[in-house]
Amino acid sequence: MSKQRWETRPLEVWNKAKEMRAEWQKSIDTASSERVLLAQGNIQWSIGFPALRVIEDNPVGAMMANKSDEFARICRLAGEVLGWGREVCGYQLNCWGAMYLGHQMDGSPFPFRDLVIPFPDPCDQHTKRGQAPMDYSPIPRFQENWPLYTGPRDTDREKAMIEDRVYCTLYIIEEIERIFGQKFDDERLIESVKVAGGISPYAQDVSRFMQHIPSPLSQKDLYSFYTLGGLTKSDPGETVAIWKALRDEVEWRVENNIAAVGNERYRWMEAHPPPWHFLKYYRYMEKYGAVCIGSQYSHMMAGPFEIKPDGTWAPRGGGFRQLVNKPIKTREDAIRAMIGTEARGHRFKDDEVIRPYALNDFAKAYKVNGAILPLWRCGVGCTVTRKEQGLRLSEIGVRVLHYEGSQPGDRTDLDENRMMDQLDVWMESQGLRKLEE
Amino acid sequence: MITAGIDVGIESLKAVILKDGKVLARGIGLSGGVNRARTTEQVWRDTLAAARLKPGDVSKIIATGQGKNDVGFVQERITEPVADARAARFLYPKATCVVDIGADQVRVVTLGPQNNILEVVMNQKCAAGLGILLKSMARTLGMTLEEMSRLSDGPTAAAAVNDGCSVFAEMDAFSLLNRNTPKEEVARAVTEAVAVRINSILNDKMKPSKESTVLVGGLSRNKAVVNALKRRSGINFLIPEQAEYAGALGAALMAAE
Repeated sequence: MSKQRWETRPLEVWNKAKEMRAEWQKSIDTASSERVLLAQGNIQWSIGFPALRVIEDNPVGAMMANKSDEFARICRLAGEVLGWGREVCGYQLNCWGAMYLGHQMDGSPFPFRDLVIPFPDPCDQHTKRGQAPMDYSPIPRFQENWPLYTGPRDTDREKAMIEDRVYCTLYIIEEIERIFGQKFDDERLIESVKVAGGISPYAQDVSRFMQHIPSPLSQKDLYSFYTLGGLTKSDPGETVAIWKALRDEVEWRVENNIAAVGNERYRWMEAHPPPWHFLKYYRYMEKYGAVCIGSQYSHMMAGPFEIKPDGTWAPRGGGFRQLVNKPIKTREDAIRAMIGTEARGHRFKDDEVIRPYALNDFAKAYKVNGAILPLWRCGVGCTVTRKEQGLRLSEIGVRVLHYEGSQPGDRTDLDENRMMDQLDVWMESQGLRKLEE
Repeated sequence: MITAGIDVGIESLKAVILKDGKVLARGIGLSGGVNRARTTEQVWRDTLAAARLKPGDVSKIIATGQGKNDVGFVQERITEPVADARAARFLYPKATCVVDIGADQVRVVTLGPQNNILEVVMNQKCAAGLGILLKSMARTLGMTLEEMSRLSDGPTAAAAVNDGCSVFAEMDAFSLLNRNTPKEEVARAVTEAVAVRINSILNDKMKPSKESTVLVGGLSRNKAVVNALKRRSGINFLIPEQAEYAGALGAALMAAE
């Protein structure tokens, strides 16, 4: 084994992230016994209701795929038996299957939802996610719109899109108040929006720090944090605090050249989620001195970045974000500000024209040598434009590896040994041999 | 300096022994499935005997092929495209691309000016086992591979089988046989499907040169497949005489460096 070039050490704040994640899971499991409504969805405004918790199925389905392929398979089969196709999002099928079976991975009772507020998304599979729990119980479902357009940026259209979502959300809040008899606390929402806005600058710093060579974090580190404040909602103050702690620790790592991979000599990137059941390939690539610096997906808490005219890598800003800086005094102000940070219109993952070029900018900013882009058959992060992305990356000298699989939450079609063979071929064909066995 | 390369493939094992850049002996045998380690040793012993050498006479042995990790007596292992690239440049110094069509994998390797590799494209799972499919279909049709190749070497078949998945292709072929489609027609359909699939991999990222692309691997011995592939791709492939030994040759050449 070759001599290590840089010091490595575990991230100290990681334990806190695990603790928060466990607390979130506990809050879901105890919702029923504490007589708190449990909503399936991913909504920041739920905090305005005194007795409402939200659970987003994506991280749960991913965790199931990661922790127990056997249980995830049983769950997906339970979904198939009831008529859901294999091409439905694997995260959802994992969760729906657990719902049909009535228990979770550890055997504990499934926390049935009381209502569904699916996170709006242009992807029909994402919006479909509320249907199974709604039909099964049955329970009310509140579906927000996700207006979207492609083509040149149009500020007027973007404003109209925000207004559409704002009034859609206000209507849903009023309906929940009416149906469930809970009074919405405007002050609590306003405070939460103000506090949660503090995450972005810290997350942006973390993203920027990863441009450093050696990279202070790797993709696997990011996966410990990227849902905190996004897909999993905890106390806003605590969430901001952990992002600050992460930022501070990563800054220190950069100053002291503490590396994620001690022999970093190759930087690679991804686009969208990995096969959660097979995260082993990150460590396998490290044998070649290769570090994964993440993807636009795992850097999501920092929001969209772009290369500025002076060559710096900075938050995109403008557009929706300009609206966030207005004073927040009412429920409507808060919802508008919140949607202003969430609605992205021109998102990297929605626009087949912009997406490959946004990926190229990401590659340049992080000085990557290669990109591993899965060809998923379906589900989250499905393959639309993936080959185009590969071709565009090749044009700027980034070597690209594609591999096939079902989808991130579904192991069925991924040939793990073939993938490892491909990794060896890919690295050796670039003149790199393993530094360790 | 005497060196050797062993290509441990899914279907067959190939060994090449070189002395100062010249081939002393070649050996080939069936892979032996789970007994691959043992059959590889047998092929190696036979090849040594053919070269009138003892094991200690060989300075370095490198293994390649999908079963390379099964071989314990080698000093090094390299991946298949690296071996193919080395062999292609040795056999055809002006080669710009090498395509290896084997029992399980199809690999397209674009070569750079300094013996480096610019790009590698491999088949994905859905196109795996094309060579194995032909062997299995020959058995189903009651033919040898040679007979199947001879009978299917001609114009495109009227019948067609799935060209995206070898399992589906086999099922389609059974359906055709159940409808009394002549077995020659089924053989042509299967051969055409294999060529279609290989051609799609050829054009996945790069367009190989029409004149300086080398074709190697066991399937390059199948005239019907090669002719169908030429027709589809328009490439006038350079096919070495001992094309199935290219991987082993490349490994032996690397061992000498």
